[in-house]
Amino acid sequence: MVRAASALLLVLLLAGWEVYCRVAGVSALVVPLPSAVLRTLWDGLAGGYLLPHLWVTTAEMAMGLAAGCTVGFLAGVLLAEVPVLRRLFYPYILASQVVPKLALGPLFIVWFGFGMTSTVVITALICFFPLLENTMTGLQQVDPNKRELFRMLRATRLQTLLRLKIPSGLPVILAGLRVAVVLALVGAVVGEFIGGRQGLGASIIAAQGMMDSTMMFALFIVITVLGMIVYQAAAGLERWLLRRPWKG
Amino acid sequence: MSFVSIEQAGYGVPSGGTILDRIDWTIGEGEFHALVGRSGCGKTTLLKLVAGLLAPSTGTVRIQGEPVRGPGAQVGFVFQAPTLLEWRTVLDNLLLPVSLTRRPQPADRRKAEELLDLVGLSGLEGRYPSQLSGGQQSRVALARALVTEPPLLLLDEPFAALDAITREELQNDLLKLCARHRTTVLFVTHDIAEAVYLADRVAVMEGGQLRHALPVPLARPRGRDVRYSPRFNALCLELRHAMDGAGSGVALERAS
Repeated sequence: MVRAASALLLVLLLAGWEVYCRVAGVSALVVPLPSAVLRTLWDGLAGGYLLPHLWVTTAEMAMGLAAGCTVGFLAGVLLAEVPVLRRLFYPYILASQVVPKLALGPLFIVWFGFGMTSTVVITALICFFPLLENTMTGLQQVDPNKRELFRMLRATRLQTLLRLKIPSGLPVILAGLRVAVVLALVGAVVGEFIGGRQGLGASIIAAQGMMDSTMMFALFIVITVLGMIVYQAAAGLERWLLRRPWKG
Repeated sequence: MSFVSIEQAGYGVPSGGTILDRIDWTIGEGEFHALVGRSGCGKTTLLKLVAGLLAPSTGTVRIQGEPVRGPGAQVGFVFQAPTLLEWRTVLDNLLLPVSLTRRPQPADRRKAEELLDLVGLSGLEGRYPSQLSGGQQSRVALARALVTEPPLLLLDEPFAALDAITREELQNDLLKLCARHRTTVLFVTHDIAEAVYLADRVAVMEGGQLRHALPVPLARPRGRDVRYSPRFNALCLELRHAMDGAGSGVALERAS
């Protein structure tokens, strides 16, 4: 019922937009007609123009996400387990995160050249922090009684990590992954703004150069749908991993 | 032959506070001792010294003549909270002490199922802890501590959070389980009736010292009729007076 109302709201908004633009004669350069946007989108998908760009952005996002999350998780485990390293490195890691990664984009172009590599690096850097932060928090939040239980059972440090700390911190770690997935898309698209030859972000810049606002809107739709799909995938993964009743 | 001997054991914190002050106590093999006292009197700390979770700052704790240097395989421990792993089934939780040392064998599985049966949880081995009631969770925790058949069992107010009826059932389960292998037990509680019902001997703690020891000459096995007998009530009253006396003892010491 609410879903239907939600869909109806979209239709009403689009209809209002279409009617207003036609009646008021708004220039397509400023705000394009929804019907024109949908036609461009359809042509782009059916004609195959958008598909390589979609593929490039998805690949960059996936690689950046995988690299950033893997390194972030491992670094989080290391810093949570070794307090000395935590005190030593954490200020630097924090400082590196306060620097806006996108501002480093031009430098990455110097280092890695135009194209996928610099975008993947930016995406990975953006995904790294939420995983690091949440892994550290998750591993340190273990119930002290359970720690004492593992001590009493003479569990090794590795056993305590693998069988107590990681499972009990998993909900927090996965929440970090969900944040990272959204950031990965932003990282990939905006990374392409700066240094991409191909991809959805590079296409937005190209469309802007040709003053093709209709195409820009079509690309927004593609990016939004892509973001919703990966977010749902991450949420689905989370539900599957936490399918057992986690909290007591 | 004493199974556990606590010799002049003391425990202090770096800030200078004394939590335990030169405790002497022995527990004979197969005996069931209870340790009672108000909150903060140091009874949990003493239990952790025996468990090897804390090291005494003075004196020693010996189990079977050997000084305790850390948590050992011969000790089972039951915490105040059930402390079950929520993401593991009841059976996996029960087998945790085994699976941390080696891969559980079918024989371990059978033993775990037998224990579940003894505490009235047969058929629930596939459940997760959050699907159990508080009493059932405490039963799993109790069974987990006994799955490796340790000769010494330490319990830290394990039934404090349960309702009176469930607590009585669990007390009976505990007596039954400990009688099977003549397990030596040290049970910490603040409940006078619980201490008298369970123990052969009750130690009263106050302000980090052992103030009084009370033998409980009630016949075993103990059942509901014991719990409501005049003899039982008289012993509870005696223990209560001992605890009051321990309190006034501190008051006198402070006054002098």
